[in-house]
Amino acid sequence: MTTSATTAPASPDPRPHPRHESESGVSFGRALKSEWIKITSVPSTVILIIITTVVMIGLAALLAWQTALSLNVEGDPEMTAKMQGQADAATALGVPGAGLVFGQLLIASLAVVLIASEWGTGMIRSTMVVVPRRSLALLAKQSVMAGISFVVGAGSALVAYFVVQPILNTADLGFALSDNGALLHIVNTGLVLALISVFAMSIGTLIRNTAVGVVTSIGVLLVLPILFTVFGIGTEWVAELGRFLPSSGGDQMVATSISEGAFTQWQGALILGGWSLLLLATSLVVTNKRDV
Amino acid sequence: MIEAQALSKRYGTKTAVDAVSFTAQPGKVTGFLGPNGAGKSTTMRMIVGLDNPSGGRATVNGVPYAKHKAPLRELGALLDAKAVHPKRSAYTHLRALAATHGIPNSRVREVIELAGLGPVARKRVGGFSLGMGQRLGIASALLGDPSTVILDEPVNGLDPEGVQWVRRLAKSLAAEGRTVFLSSHLMSEMALTADHLIVIGRGRIIADAPVQSIIDGQGAARVRVRADRPQDLLGSLAADGVSAQILEPELLEITGVEPRRVAEAAVRNGVLVYELTPIQLSLEDAYLQLTSQEVEYQSHSLTPSGLLAASTEGHRA
Repeated sequence: MTTSATTAPASPDPRPHPRHESESGVSFGRALKSEWIKITSVPSTVILIIITTVVMIGLAALLAWQTALSLNVEGDPEMTAKMQGQADAATALGVPGAGLVFGQLLIASLAVVLIASEWGTGMIRSTMVVVPRRSLALLAKQSVMAGISFVVGAGSALVAYFVVQPILNTADLGFALSDNGALLHIVNTGLVLALISVFAMSIGTLIRNTAVGVVTSIGVLLVLPILFTVFGIGTEWVAELGRFLPSSGGDQMVATSISEGAFTQWQGALILGGWSLLLLATSLVVTNKRDV
Repeated sequence: MIEAQALSKRYGTKTAVDAVSFTAQPGKVTGFLGPNGAGKSTTMRMIVGLDNPSGGRATVNGVPYAKHKAPLRELGALLDAKAVHPKRSAYTHLRALAATHGIPNSRVREVIELAGLGPVARKRVGGFSLGMGQRLGIASALLGDPSTVILDEPVNGLDPEGVQWVRRLAKSLAAEGRTVFLSSHLMSEMALTADHLIVIGRGRIIADAPVQSIIDGQGAARVRVRADRPQDLLGSLAADGVSAQILEPELLEITGVEPRRVAEAAVRNGVLVYELTPIQLSLEDAYLQLTSQEVEYQSHSLTPSGLLAASTEGHRA
């Protein structure tokens, strides 16, 4: 043996046998703390969360720049004024959350990885032995990841708001946080990510396999809406059904203008939230029935 | 204390654990012995609630494990040394487990020292050897200072020093009044560590007794005798349950009779006896006798002809 790691461990616990029931039960708060330690102690997870935040801010800045550029490129002030009328305030209002499309893919993948890798590595057996009430263990993990996702979404949108103002101001498109719908858009960017996290982690819990789980949730969030759009062109009922997809709900949540007949932000929240809660409930029931 | 009552586990049509009932008492090391695939791990997983029983129930200190408010205080388990995320350090892994019960970091450091993991506590678990993984598993089992400890194959992958350490640990935990429930497929290990044995084969309990009585029970008193007139001696010993094998003209092995009765018979018949040796069965023998009918993956002895047959088949293929 090269290290002293395996030499002369002390005699077992020298303490008498104290029973400290009062101070030492499992609680939801303690399960949360445990999950927080787990998430923050794997470097790749932390790095991915940081990357998601940075990319979301960067994409917002990029969109702001492109929006401003397309208006400024016309030297003719009359033309610019006309175009500004078309590129109504709604477009600018939606800039802070522009990274959401990309952010939700990263958050969805991470949420699947966090739970499915527990099965992959065997960690789930440690988790479920220390917290044998499986719903409690899963809800703690869901809550921590949903909380992180909300902060990533709303936080990056808020930072992006301040980053993009100087850029948008060059085209006279700047707006205030107090403007109608601005704050709702920023908060909902966080809420969408939180609900997407719950959605994807529930899929990961049901499938228990990282690769299959990631492909499934990305498929539902990204590929399914494309298919519905393509086949919905000629078929009314397919298009109608497509409005109830989780991704459609998320789109409406962060919309800064609601077109005629489209769902409002709150209706969008009901759709995405409904899907997430349905999958969450299913994952809890199934996990309680199956062996770990 | 662990109690299993008619505990069963079925996977489809296959029965892995078949209505198993036993008790692991406090203050004792209870060995759980059986061939691979006998249902040891499944039984242990049902005790801690990882597997849902198909029938029956298991309790820890009178209550199903999952119903305890502070399960880690009741029972600590090493079920699988690899139940760890490889990118976490031993210290953070234990800290995450401890956090669920509000166990302080001082206790985490204590079990790290106890398991001899001090120098590698901050290193990623992914780089651990099997033996260090076992030590980490044992550290996590002791985290909550539990009154019952379950260790599934704890000496797997440990070096001789580590094996000795686990032995001493199991015994001293039992000496402190805790319940220690220890599985192994190594009988020699059990002979050294366990006070009480539960032998399982094909999902059924085939013995549940103190170690010594299992050895005795299977032994059916065998005696080796060297005598000048073996036939005369056997003639007067003939009774139900007594059988003998003549190994050499003057060497016998008699089963089912105490050495004293052999000596008495020799005196009565004037037979000269110049060796009289009671043969004690090893735990190994007892175990093999017990489980011979219950082994799932049996190795077949290769007779010379068998070997030959196998190799010629190999050539043809």
